[in-house]
Amino acid sequence: MIRFFSVTKRYPGGQVALRDLSLEIAAGDMVFLTGSSGAGKTTFLKLIYREEVPTQGQIIVHGRNVSSLPLRKVPYLRRDIGVVFQDFRLIHRKTIFENVVYLPRILGFDAKSQRQRAYDVLRQVGLSHRMSAFPLQLSGGEQQRVAIARALINEPTILLADEPTGNLDPGLSEEILRLLLTIHRRGTTIVLATHDRSLIERVGGRVLTLADGSLIDDRHLPGGDPAFAIDDLPPPEPPSAEPTAASPTAEGAA
Amino acid sequence: MTFIQALRYFVREAALSLARSWKVSALAILTIAVSLGLTGAFLLINHNLHQRVAQWQRESKVVLYLDGALAEADRQALIERVAAAPWVDDVALVDAATSRARFVENFPSLADLLEGWGEEPLPASLEVQIDAAATADRASGSGDLTIWLAGLRDDPAVIMVDDDRDWLAQLETVIWVLRGAGLLLGGVLLITAVFTIASVIRLTAYLYRDEIAVMRMVGATEFFIRGPFYLEGLLQGLLGGLAACGALAMLHTMMIAPPAGGAGFAAGGDWILTALAQEFLPTGQVLGLIALGGLAGLVGAVVSLRRESLGRTQEIAPSWIESADA
Repeated sequence: MIRFFSVTKRYPGGQVALRDLSLEIAAGDMVFLTGSSGAGKTTFLKLIYREEVPTQGQIIVHGRNVSSLPLRKVPYLRRDIGVVFQDFRLIHRKTIFENVVYLPRILGFDAKSQRQRAYDVLRQVGLSHRMSAFPLQLSGGEQQRVAIARALINEPTILLADEPTGNLDPGLSEEILRLLLTIHRRGTTIVLATHDRSLIERVGGRVLTLADGSLIDDRHLPGGDPAFAIDDLPPPEPPSAEPTAASPTAEGAA
Repeated sequence: MTFIQALRYFVREAALSLARSWKVSALAILTIAVSLGLTGAFLLINHNLHQRVAQWQRESKVVLYLDGALAEADRQALIERVAAAPWVDDVALVDAATSRARFVENFPSLADLLEGWGEEPLPASLEVQIDAAATADRASGSGDLTIWLAGLRDDPAVIMVDDDRDWLAQLETVIWVLRGAGLLLGGVLLITAVFTIASVIRLTAYLYRDEIAVMRMVGATEFFIRGPFYLEGLLQGLLGGLAACGALAMLHTMMIAPPAGGAGFAAGGDWILTALAQEFLPTGQVLGLIALGGLAGLVGAVVSLRRESLGRTQEIAPSWIESADA
């Protein structure tokens, strides 16, 4: 699914973000990426969705060499990769519906299909009743769930999360983490960058540790908190019936 | 997404953007309108002057002033020789007495200047109407007509040749200079308008940078992202062109036909203004001005987005880079 071959990333000015990194992330994996601030976590994610290109080495995503991918093909790569950030990156002047529906609109879905997709994905994150609200009317945890819904609306095979709980209190962080684990349970490959080691120790799984741009550890940690046991998580919600115009959940969506 | 769907999306987004930032959009449209309006005004003056000159050229004459000592037989021979030239439509003899009468009629306050002369002070003349088709030949400064006129100037029976088209040719030169100056001024103003539109589009792109960043992140193509901005520039330019042509048409109407109860510019008998405003610009030039506005707007949008380097994925949004922990 994702393979790094001797990848080095050096920014203009000489700062080295990643050094000779080689690893593989299989389809359906959930991988934690950890390390202190400045270790290279964000650069690692940026290289996957082609925000950055490596100075040396090759990166293969979905069998495509993203290092040499022409700019005009980058959008098509990104349509199969969902990205979630610490600061949510929601557009405050747009409704929740409008925030999540960007990709279906770009892909040319008609209004009815856009509404259906938005409803389904917001239902998965438990916010189908807030489609007509604006981001600032929601809590931080809810805003992050909207950002996750936006990332998931095209059912990507890869979800990249850059410190998704960084702006949230412990309770909301746990909520988001449980949501991500539920998504992972459906088969989505997730790469989650966090510097919060206690969170990783509670969940467990494959952990890549970066320090000063180098991979210093790649191990599988057992989960310490039964609350995050995969089997105990709620099953994914099945697709819903199409919301009708009279449905309060679809109100103001279009 | 099909092209039609994309176009519909572009139109909606461009219209929304124009409505949201209508003040800066109005400024851009006004700048385009002023530059195209001035260019159009020069074209209008040029067009009308050109029409006038063409008319004057059709009506122009060559006047041959005859030697007073010329015998009647020689004068008749000259008239026949002149009339035989293929480009001559008509020859009329104006004798000395008629010349004096015309002078007195046209310049009554100077009539006493002609008193006291023993003989007729003004010479007899031949007024020669030249064929219109030969005018172009004459205007080119070469050909049989020019040679023929040079021959008459050397003829001892003719003391002077006065060709109206000499000064008309000079006037044509003035028209060309005027046209050049108008195009130059219009061009400079149009470049200013292009940069104004570019600034407006840049500002709009800056205001929507967060949304542009999200669109890139989820996989929007550059065509999809830039389309609404290009269309917005195009619309601003077209509206500017339309405003310029509308203002010119209004000005033209006021010049030739004063509004009810008011005095038009030409109402005071100002024949120059009337002559200049005789005809409005031809449809082709009006459409050309509007199209030029659209082109300027489009170029402005392209320039602005190139300067913003929106195509480079590394510059998705400055705030993204700030938060990088690389």
